[in-house]
Amino acid sequence: MAILNVQNLGKTFNLGTPRASRVLADISFEVSGQTFVSIVGPSGCGKSTLLNIISGVEEHTSGEISLTSDDGGPTRLGYVFQDPRLLPWRSVMRNMMYVQNDKSEATVARVERYLDMVGLAKSADLYPGQLSGGMQQRVGVARAFAVEPDLLLMDEPFSHIDAITARALRAQLQDIWEQSKKTVVFVTHDVVEAVELSDRIIVLQPGGLIYEDITIDLPRPRRQTDTKVATLQAEVLARLEAMKEMSRTAESAA
Amino acid sequence: MSSTVQATVKRRRSTSEIEESTPAWRRRLTSDAAARVAALLSFLVFWSLLALLFERVPGPVEVVQRLGDEFSRGEVFGNFGTTLYRFGIGLLLATGAGIVIGVLMGLSQLSRAFFESPVLVGLSIPAIIWAFLTVMWFGFGDMSPIVTTFLTAVPFVIVNVAQGVRGVSRDLRDMSSTYDVPVIRRVRDLVLPAVTGYIAAGVRFAIIIGWNGVILAEWFGGGGGVGYRARFWYDANRFGGFAAWVVLFVGFIVLLDRFVLDRAIRRAFRWRDG
Repeated sequence: MAILNVQNLGKTFNLGTPRASRVLADISFEVSGQTFVSIVGPSGCGKSTLLNIISGVEEHTSGEISLTSDDGGPTRLGYVFQDPRLLPWRSVMRNMMYVQNDKSEATVARVERYLDMVGLAKSADLYPGQLSGGMQQRVGVARAFAVEPDLLLMDEPFSHIDAITARALRAQLQDIWEQSKKTVVFVTHDVVEAVELSDRIIVLQPGGLIYEDITIDLPRPRRQTDTKVATLQAEVLARLEAMKEMSRTAESAA
Repeated sequence: MSSTVQATVKRRRSTSEIEESTPAWRRRLTSDAAARVAALLSFLVFWSLLALLFERVPGPVEVVQRLGDEFSRGEVFGNFGTTLYRFGIGLLLATGAGIVIGVLMGLSQLSRAFFESPVLVGLSIPAIIWAFLTVMWFGFGDMSPIVTTFLTAVPFVIVNVAQGVRGVSRDLRDMSSTYDVPVIRRVRDLVLPAVTGYIAAGVRFAIIIGWNGVILAEWFGGGGGVGYRARFWYDANRFGGFAAWVVLFVGFIVLLDRFVLDRAIRRAFRWRDG
């Protein structure tokens, strides 16, 4: 498990040039333990940029960010991207092994176990081009869990696949998470998805600030047909609508 | 008032239906293999016509006879082996150096700035100039054909590999750095497979251009080999013998391309076809 600490984080693209554009202004939060945190917000509010900064792909321009393993060892990251990002010239198994630290029997067994959990045990020797989009994304999910990460980042992993497959994958994700209990930071623009999966929802507002930090205290597994889940989804959606309205008012006043 | 609308239904046939309804002889005549055989036959006919019209052009039959004579004299295997040895070493060095420099140029802006001009100069110097220069530098023997092959071939490998490395997906590179994949594994599993097509194209160019280089160096530098033997018959004013060696080295390149390079490239890209 990991402790992710973000303090007054800011990101401005093309800093110091006339084309400077601020995406994140002042973000502070902490995530630790067996927590599933979702970051939601409208398009362009900096959700993916925040995740890229946490993963080290992007650099931040102000503030501090630290990631520590609670056992004191080096931290390991897993990342499920919007698209599967698989090596097209390597089989599913070799894609899984590409990100592993070693090739020991225990590692191979772990990789096979996660492939089995996402229902792709029989597809290990296939190339990504031989799989459907949903299956490729399942490989991406299995790959991220199979590295046994201290922190798992997920960037709208189901946004590019059809609704039925996405629903099945969400259920699968819930099951895997229940078994592994990793620290997860999950970016989505879908409030329904966020309520179904998360213990906590951080709402970002346009301009790169945190609007609200909501705790979701509902028993798992959660299904959309559950009245409590549906009520909470409606409530969070209403709060997001209020935030949007407030942003629009502030924009027109400016 | 009433009117009748006549609908025209056009049924489209499947490819297997079309194939089944086409006679076998017609399918064979319109195949790729038939096109290749037709090209070869047309060339032979054209060559024979030229030989009939011009006294100094040896016909296919005479060339085959001269080739047979060279085989019976025991000249073919020794000279061909010598050339292949020189060509092989030069090409191997060019491919190795070309991949290393190409990868560096693709990954680092500084390397690109350093190598760009020398590579451009290398590309613009024809094989014949390298052949003259290496014969002047190294004299007769193995060194000048090997160096000529290397110098003519290496810029083509570098340019192709550098272009391939620059095109490696940014998304896959980001994925690799997120998962802390070691650099050696990134080069082996990400960069090299991504540039395989470019390496193959570069080596293909390198083989054709390097083969020219080795023949020219042997032509001017002597010391045995295919180029030396072709020059021998040219100097003797025996165009049949000269043409026999031309057919031999052109045929070698064509067979190498078709049966080795083409198959190797298809094997390297089998993941595309699933």
